[in-house]
Amino acid sequence: MNSAQDGFFEEDIIDLESSKKDARNALKQVAGDSSHSVGKETDKIAIDVKNVTVRYRAYAERPGSLKEHILRFLHKGKVRYYSSFDALSNVSFQVEKGKFIGIIGSNGAGKSTLLKTLSGVIRPIVGEVFCNGSVDSLIKLGAGFDRELNAIENIYLYGSLHKISRDDIKERVSKILDFSELHEFAYTPVKYYSSGMYARLGFACAIDMNPDILLVDEVLAVGDERFRIKCSKVMNELLDSGKTIVMVSHNIATLERRADTIGVLSKGKLLYYGDPSEAVKIYRDDLRYETSLDGNRLS
Amino acid sequence: MKFFSRYSFFFKSIYEYREYLLQSVLRDLRKKYKRSVLGYLWSMLGPLFTMIVLTVVFSNLLPRVHNYSVFLFSGLLGWQYFQQTLNSGMPSIQSNMRIVEQVPIPKFIFVISTSCSGIVNFMLALVPLLLVMIVVGQPLQWTALLFPIVFIPLMILTLGFALLFAVATVFFDDVKHLSRILLSAWYYLTPVLYGPELMPPHVLRWLQFNPLFAPVDQLRGLFYRGTLPELLPYAYSLAFGVVILGLALWIYERCDDKFVYFA
Repeated sequence: MNSAQDGFFEEDIIDLESSKKDARNALKQVAGDSSHSVGKETDKIAIDVKNVTVRYRAYAERPGSLKEHILRFLHKGKVRYYSSFDALSNVSFQVEKGKFIGIIGSNGAGKSTLLKTLSGVIRPIVGEVFCNGSVDSLIKLGAGFDRELNAIENIYLYGSLHKISRDDIKERVSKILDFSELHEFAYTPVKYYSSGMYARLGFACAIDMNPDILLVDEVLAVGDERFRIKCSKVMNELLDSGKTIVMVSHNIATLERRADTIGVLSKGKLLYYGDPSEAVKIYRDDLRYETSLDGNRLS
Repeated sequence: MKFFSRYSFFFKSIYEYREYLLQSVLRDLRKKYKRSVLGYLWSMLGPLFTMIVLTVVFSNLLPRVHNYSVFLFSGLLGWQYFQQTLNSGMPSIQSNMRIVEQVPIPKFIFVISTSCSGIVNFMLALVPLLLVMIVVGQPLQWTALLFPIVFIPLMILTLGFALLFAVATVFFDDVKHLSRILLSAWYYLTPVLYGPELMPPHVLRWLQFNPLFAPVDQLRGLFYRGTLPELLPYAYSLAFGVVILGLALWIYERCDDKFVYFA
């Protein structure tokens, strides 16, 4: 979840439900009923994000009890225990196939939200996301793993979650164990793994799904140097074969060196999208600006 | 029309994620008995011990019933499937939030997977039932082979209620407590400990509105009495199940976008 923004807990004036409905209806007329589409549009474009706005509800401490809902129903919407804010507002950009895109921004800028929107887990209330081909995300490593199961059982579980048939998974098992260097511990429940081992298995599984678009959050930081080199080698191979990678990171130097394009997010807005070194400059300016604001508030 | 499109999406998703359903049933089985010596035997011993305890208590209260242990066991089958699936299906969306956050998967798949595990447990419990029947000398009935037919409305009903509760649990913690009370009342309204023939007609008339009444009793009919299910109660339960699952899918669809914010 994104952290606090200005006015985080203030009651919002906008009626979320009705604005959402309006947005949906407008969208239906423009784009049919789907705000996240996967398919062929233009062969060169991998990702097309058009005017995307994602609105979060910031709930009060309690997620709400039945009583509150009944009260709210009786008062016809007068009792509201959440406020809302835009985690992404009016974000648009395009990514060409085979490119490495970096997304940077301070904490709570909407980076993870952007990845989740690209993966189709979050549906924007306004705008459209188009992904050309299969998408896989490494937002949290090993989502879908069961900690009680061993590596091989988890590979089957993970593969089946991505709609891969049993025979296909069977062929991949040893390849995944090779890459993650976990042959020795293949029959150990993953709850006994170190965080590095866990990350290696998660990364190996995700890479092996061979997605057209790979979304990577700050997850590779756990591996050691050797594994990181291995990862970047694989990612280079992916890029060479025309796959697209979108990566969120706080490791600005690496991204500046490796990314083809960098997008800078600040408070849900896309400040800049383009040349890496320019992007980093804008990001630093933005940080300095926010720090100065904090300074003013403190004094 | 939307009712049917919702159902077709439901069946399409089950087909698409058939491999995941299989793997998660295997996972449940593996996890359940990972550290136990008797392993899968527990799936059979559990219902057996419940039956023994209840038989000791109730066979003296209801001396008119012939072979009360078989009578009880065949009634428990249907009820335990319903109860177990509801209890494990209820938190299933919530406990799979890590997947919900990352993979655009229809969340009802998690509920279906618990229902599949329930079916496996149901089948395993048939083994001790047969053993008990042989031990106490209850004649085996050929009608027992028809149990899948009676199981269908029970399965749909269970899935419907489990999905309804699973969706509600994500948003309200109250549901967990509510369901505990609901289930204990429901248990006594369902002919597990008693049979419909032991009820006075004016009570029975009302009890039959309980959609679980017919499937539980009809399963007993197949295994214990050797009677075929009556059509009207069967149709009532089936229709009730289809409507409740449709309602659950409708509510699910309305909440679909909001789940991820509760991760």
